[in-house]
Amino acid sequence: MLKIDNLHVSVGGHEILKGLTLAVPAGEVHAIMGPNGSGKSTLSYAVAGRENYEASEGSVTLNGENILGLDPNERAAKGLFLSFQHPMEIPGVATMNFIRTALNAQKRARGEAEVSAADFLKLIRAKAKIVGLSDEKLKRPFNVGFSGGEKKRMEMLQMAILEPAFAIMDETDSGLDIDALKMVGDVVNSLRGQKGNKKAPGFLVITHYQRLLDYIKPDRVHVLAAGRIVKSGGPELATELEKSGYDKFVEAA
Amino acid sequence: MTNAPKAATGLETALAARAQSLPPVRALAFETFQRLGFPHRRVEGWRWTDFRAALQDIAPAPAPLHEIAPPLAGDLAGLKPVELRIVNGRIDVPANAFPKGVQYGIVDAVGTIPDLETHALAALNVAMSKKALGVEIGAGVDFAQPIVIRHINTGAGFSFAQSLMRLCEGASATIIETFEGEGAGFYSHLFHLVLKEGASLHRHVIHETGAGAVVQSICAAKVEGGAAFNQASLSLGARLARHETHVHYVAGGAKAEIASAALLAGERHSDFTSEVLHIGDACTTRQRHKGVVKDKGRNVFQGKFRVMKSAQKTDARMNADALLLSETAETDHKPELEIYADDVQCAHGSTAGALDAEAIFYMRQRGLTDEAARALLIEAFVGGVFDQIAHPGIAQAFHTRIVRWLEDA
Repeated sequence: MLKIDNLHVSVGGHEILKGLTLAVPAGEVHAIMGPNGSGKSTLSYAVAGRENYEASEGSVTLNGENILGLDPNERAAKGLFLSFQHPMEIPGVATMNFIRTALNAQKRARGEAEVSAADFLKLIRAKAKIVGLSDEKLKRPFNVGFSGGEKKRMEMLQMAILEPAFAIMDETDSGLDIDALKMVGDVVNSLRGQKGNKKAPGFLVITHYQRLLDYIKPDRVHVLAAGRIVKSGGPELATELEKSGYDKFVEAA
Repeated sequence: MTNAPKAATGLETALAARAQSLPPVRALAFETFQRLGFPHRRVEGWRWTDFRAALQDIAPAPAPLHEIAPPLAGDLAGLKPVELRIVNGRIDVPANAFPKGVQYGIVDAVGTIPDLETHALAALNVAMSKKALGVEIGAGVDFAQPIVIRHINTGAGFSFAQSLMRLCEGASATIIETFEGEGAGFYSHLFHLVLKEGASLHRHVIHETGAGAVVQSICAAKVEGGAAFNQASLSLGARLARHETHVHYVAGGAKAEIASAALLAGERHSDFTSEVLHIGDACTTRQRHKGVVKDKGRNVFQGKFRVMKSAQKTDARMNADALLLSETAETDHKPELEIYADDVQCAHGSTAGALDAEAIFYMRQRGLTDEAARALLIEAFVGGVFDQIAHPGIAQAFHTRIVRWLEDA
């Protein structure tokens, strides 16, 4: 379970998150919707531990453990995964080598056995099939020359391989066609366990649009405006937002 | 450029003593050296590589002559090379019979290089070198066994050496030059290379001396029609380490690939300076340099393409990129094009920057530690520069040294 309590984050001297409180129980999918500039990406960076996005107040716990003092890689080893809104191209870094290094770094940090090169090859081939990335793409330097959609597939590939305890998906749906949206839904639904199972992963899906939520049924929907959650509800809230926009919530904030 | 008169240093006095009663050509070269003096930062082309300052502390005596060479590095020995050595300037060639197609031995040094009149250190080398290491590959011989030339320097003092290598028509060869040893002296090497028509040479340079060494090497390659000169150099720097490459395309249709990387920590310095003179037409030149600098390291790259009027259809490209890993690291690039022909394609590019903080965060989010993420990015930055190395064992030797540097640094 990811629990965020009264989180305040300033970036470049401006307070972006102003006391955000949110809890996503194990096995649940929550969606965050909100207008541009409401603090959605700041929230994902602050939880993942990016430099210059430190909390000035409040707490974030993952399965009861405070993660705010941890390095980004320590948070990752605890099972936190961020699907980036704008994934990086990393020229010169071989894709498979990078993902295997990441997986084994996490396993080492958790005191688990590392995955052999042969087993990893089997694993990545199987998952690449699900996300729709060819062998040729896996042999390229990381994300180099990939389209926006392919980069999102690469995010989903890593999520499928790393099997996080909690994933934040920052506008994973932007730039995706219907087939790709369905693929994202498949990956999330394959990882999603039983509700109420304390070991099942949770998901926080940041999106502008209702359409991804057709493929990933959220348990709860939250509206983020001006650095706070201003409204929470069931899946029907997303439909309502799609129809009437954020205006009334922004005014309320 | 003239220098203000100054008192000779101990080193200059010691060299002058050795220059008594030289044969005429070498005496003339010594006069040139005396006229120019040791290059220093106010001399064009030496601004970032000040020999006069670095040589102040060098013991004014010849390096010890009869040192025993340590064994060749295991991975290079594993390539089963022909091993030739220059230990503190003393040439040492194996006594056993030559492999088929190659000859080597000790020969008379040569008395001239193209810009002898203006290059003080080249002139000094010519004055001080009596003998040279000679290597010749016979016409049409594809000599696959790598030839290693080890430049080993131990102890203090100065030493000079020359090598002459000739690849006859259509010959091909692979050489590896290592600059090694913990010596804190001054070593100067002048390498004359001739690639006859259609010859192909892969030259590899690995500079991994101690931090106190002052090293200067000049490779002057005369490249004839249709020949191919392929060079890959890795330098870990020294007190001063300047590796010059001068390529002269005297006829058409020849090619050169010149790749270099400097990995510098502590106060180490590396200078890759080159000039490619295009006289023959339709020659292709590709040059790449990468510098990774931390602490107070200093990376110098000076590359010049000269394209004469006769060198139409020249295709020449040069790139130099540097990664600065500390506030005190320094990189100095001087790419130059001097073009007299009108139908050519020539370009150069130069960049310097730090590691991408966003990429580091991305990689750490996936679980890599800060150090692991940085190492992977640095390796990625340097890695591609040596893609041209055709011999897998040599490519591995370069890779091993890059990884070892990353782990130590």
